[in-house]
Amino acid sequence: MKRPGLGLWLAMGIFALLGVIFLAVSAYDFIAHLDRQVHAITCSFVPGLGAPDTSGASGCHAVMMSPYSAVLRTWTWGGIPIALPGMAVFLYLLFRVADIWARQAEQDAHETRFLLLATLLPLFASLVYFAISTFVVGSICKLCIGTYVASIGVFVCALVAHRRATASGPLPWGRYMLLFGEGVAFAAVPVLLYLSLKPASAVATCGDLMHPEDKAGVRLKLGTNPGGAPAIEVLDPLCPACKGLDQRLAASGFKDRLNLELALFPLDKECNWMVSESVHPGACMVSEAVLCAGDQVPQVLAWIFDHQQELRELGARDPGQLAARIRTDLPQIAGCLGKPEIKARLNRSLRWAVSNSLPVLTPQVFVRNQKICPEDSDLGLDYVLSRVLAGGATAARPAGGR
Amino acid sequence: MAGKGTHVALALVFLLILGVTTGVWVRGAAVRAAQAAAADSGVATASASDEGYCTGDLKKILRRVLTSCGLVKGGSSRGCQPLEARSVAAMSGGDFNALFVPLADRAAIIQFDQDAAEVDAGALALIDKTFADQRGASYFLVVSRASPEGSVSYNRELSRKRAEAVLNHIRGKFNDPELDQEVGLLWLGEEFAQLDREFCKWSRSRPEAPCTPNYLNRSAFIAWIDCRL
Repeated sequence: MKRPGLGLWLAMGIFALLGVIFLAVSAYDFIAHLDRQVHAITCSFVPGLGAPDTSGASGCHAVMMSPYSAVLRTWTWGGIPIALPGMAVFLYLLFRVADIWARQAEQDAHETRFLLLATLLPLFASLVYFAISTFVVGSICKLCIGTYVASIGVFVCALVAHRRATASGPLPWGRYMLLFGEGVAFAAVPVLLYLSLKPASAVATCGDLMHPEDKAGVRLKLGTNPGGAPAIEVLDPLCPACKGLDQRLAASGFKDRLNLELALFPLDKECNWMVSESVHPGACMVSEAVLCAGDQVPQVLAWIFDHQQELRELGARDPGQLAARIRTDLPQIAGCLGKPEIKARLNRSLRWAVSNSLPVLTPQVFVRNQKICPEDSDLGLDYVLSRVLAGGATAARPAGGR
Repeated sequence: MAGKGTHVALALVFLLILGVTTGVWVRGAAVRAAQAAAADSGVATASASDEGYCTGDLKKILRRVLTSCGLVKGGSSRGCQPLEARSVAAMSGGDFNALFVPLADRAAIIQFDQDAAEVDAGALALIDKTFADQRGASYFLVVSRASPEGSVSYNRELSRKRAEAVLNHIRGKFNDPELDQEVGLLWLGEEFAQLDREFCKWSRSRPEAPCTPNYLNRSAFIAWIDCRL
């Protein structure tokens, strides 16, 4: 005979399972990056079916690389991903649903009350993260939306289940403490395993600048913090990873502690003889715009980053249209673009990279003339910067890409 | 009692799933990280150009000319006079000019009025365009000449003034701190390696002017050299 409430408890179990799946995919993608390589990430309402994001353009990538995807980033490389204990919480809810159902305790209000209280945690976390994602990061992540839906679903089901249940006797505080302890254990087990098994994170830099001096005056001021540690960002203005690095640096809170300069290194064969194919077509022209900006470099760079994909597409399709777009939106530099002295200055910027034997890749970051290893410039940025700024960087790793 | 057993068994099963999953993921990342650390990244390093035409023979002659004419660091003089150029090149004028043939799209001929070393507006624009298009080149040559009217010594001096006029403009316009390690001057007067009509096809500051040898040699030939020495 069918037990009453089967549909409700089945739905609750399905919502909890969905929460486990969405957060497991998020946690897996984050953990995969602990190998310090570049990975495609899943960003789909149906994990496994949508095409993975290989370009870093998805909302899931933006959220994952944001400082809000993990906690304690300056304490351990990459921090502890929120998705990991989040997955454990949903697995705990699934366990509680299965346990209550298996023990035929679904009519016991003491059981359903605790379950309802437990569902408030993911519901509250979802509300906070939806606000952060929308108003701070500015990207909506499909996996996150799936998690929000699962949180609401499991809460509503628990609420209905509790209203159907009946209470008898005083509140079982002892049992509640035991259940709470179980919940804590569920969250603690993956976090402790994560911390104990994750790759070692000895901080090392990737070599020093051989000629840090700027005799040709090619580096541009990005900040107004002369008391900060001298730092250089080697960027291609049309490179998505450079935009991401700039955003991560701004969000990390370390930007205020750096006296930041920009060295342009466009990966566009139009001006850069070191690339046989243009990785970012139009980057030479856009770099000229940055050089033309005078004391408005941060503003011009921000405009470029805001319109980066569009400018890259224009550069690939029609350089004339790209020049027209720059002249229209940045009239203050219209007369400067394409001038021989600007082209020569851009060339000297590239030659600064030659004199320092830099790898032909962007972005690169140097703090106090020490190179932050490329593999440390995304999830590990906060961890490495905090130590380099504190003077804790050790022997140099071999320089190279990722 | 059976209820408690079910609870504990389920808790252990779920915790096991959680622990094994996390452990496998994190351990996998650690193994890949170790493998990546041992692998060569294979990323190219930024370097100056070294084009295909920079053969061993060409480099040998270039090194000799550049060192003697003050381009390469450590050179004690700046600029080569015709006799010096001829002796360090150790070749005929025709062979010397042939060295520059592969540079056709990197070179320009800056033309002057007879008995003059002033650069006109068209010449300035061509110098700017050519010099700004450095790309990965390491050396910029200015090779000036004179047409045969006048004495040999006068023409030698005139061609020196022409070379220096080009250099002075570049120095003032581009404010390049490495200019002295990049730009080398050779003034050949009317004596050595005169340009023939073959060079009429090259980029000239006065393309509308008649292209006779006399017109062509009242000039400074400028070119970036995409060779690493």
